[in-house]
Amino acid sequence: MSPTTPLNPTSPPTLTLISNSTPVAQGAEAKVYKSILHPSREGSPVSIFVKYRFTKQYRHPTLDTNLTRARVAGEARALMKCLRSGVNVPGIRMVDASEGVLGTEWIEGKSVRALLGGGADDEGDDDELLEDGQDTQELLEEDTLKPFGLSQDTLMSMIGTEIAKMHLADVIHGDLTTSNMMLPFPSPSHLTLLYLVDFGLSFTSPLTEDKAVDLYVLERAFSSTHPDSSALFARVLDAYAKRVGEKEWGVVGRRLDDVRLRGRKRSMVG
Amino acid sequence: MDSYQLPQFNRDIHIALLKNVSNASQIRSRIIIAASIPSPQGDAEREAINFAFIDPRLLTSALHIKTAIYQALLNEHQASLRTKSVHSEILWALNPNNNITEAIRRFGVSDSCTSLLIVRISSPDLNDVEAKIKSIVSGDIVPLSQLETLTDWATIKKYYKLNGEPVLEEVAGDTQRERAVLDNIVVSSVAMKTVMQ
Repeated sequence: MSPTTPLNPTSPPTLTLISNSTPVAQGAEAKVYKSILHPSREGSPVSIFVKYRFTKQYRHPTLDTNLTRARVAGEARALMKCLRSGVNVPGIRMVDASEGVLGTEWIEGKSVRALLGGGADDEGDDDELLEDGQDTQELLEEDTLKPFGLSQDTLMSMIGTEIAKMHLADVIHGDLTTSNMMLPFPSPSHLTLLYLVDFGLSFTSPLTEDKAVDLYVLERAFSSTHPDSSALFARVLDAYAKRVGEKEWGVVGRRLDDVRLRGRKRSMVG
Repeated sequence: MDSYQLPQFNRDIHIALLKNVSNASQIRSRIIIAASIPSPQGDAEREAINFAFIDPRLLTSALHIKTAIYQALLNEHQASLRTKSVHSEILWALNPNNNITEAIRRFGVSDSCTSLLIVRISSPDLNDVEAKIKSIVSGDIVPLSQLETLTDWATIKKYYKLNGEPVLEEVAGDTQRERAVLDNIVVSSVAMKTVMQ
């Protein structure tokens, strides 16, 4: 029944796919690529975003395989939970856990960090901001948002609402920064939505503590990348409070105040 | 008919959507009989119907079936097929749980099918796939883009357990957006099936 020619044995197919893709960025954990998964003779092919958790030479191979597999699975499950709960996250397009590869929808747009003029981004997509120094940056802040038809205030509310939806689903992002929020370029076919990306550090938890720490991490990210951003972050929290409801916000908000005083590690052990 | 190559698997993929299919029950019994003829006598018959026959009413988009094909190919390459062939693996990949019989009953050809989506995964040297399909199925080949007109959204929601999910409340009333959201979730479930549990 099975096809007669043997499969190409030289290289795992997912690694061949990656070697034919465009590199986008690299971190300590993973490399990311832009690939085409399903070539088609009709119509233009659709790009996907591929995150490849490469083999770590410094770990025992068995441990490495297990950790990588678990992390790819964890990230995919968090995305799935968000999708079902109506959080705007990229859809999953392919998973090859044994090679450590997760493919998701490609979002053509800008990170919120770039839109707020947050200086050098390790993704390198706002290099043009760097060249002309501070004055131009101030100008660009308003200009970069214009094509999206959004004010800064609206953008902040969108951030708060998305995080609130995610926390209502008991998903904790674990690495909320303005670089991990994407605004797709506007298109006539759909509304402008804010996407949360990179669930590599995410986990599920219903605990107030974890949600408060998640918000605290974002607050710190805001203050370190965008100067004078406390007013902006207040808008984020307003929208968050509105979405989760008064009762839940009472608990999380109070805990956020505690976390601000002590930092994100509750226990001083270790 | 849509054909494309996946060089990383050394495979050609052929997808044909057929409407006005009149012999669905005959195809179904032919598959069952072919499986029970012992080798080598049955080999020719098995080769003749060596396709995946899928009920297009349960597909949300071309991406949905292509994702299932891709995951089936990955399973085949990693020697982790759950079913007996890469074609049945496509049906397994489409079904959200691990029950093979249920996958074939739900997503495979049934006697009531009047449209069919046919997939052939082959080595690059296979020719005349369209002629081979026409010799088995009596129906009209239509562009794959017509898939969306056949989709049975209510059954999809039921099978993929999407009723009552918060996302549907959010997009309630906007049919076009609801379908886009459903398609995205369904494609995502197929893509992540191997790491779901």
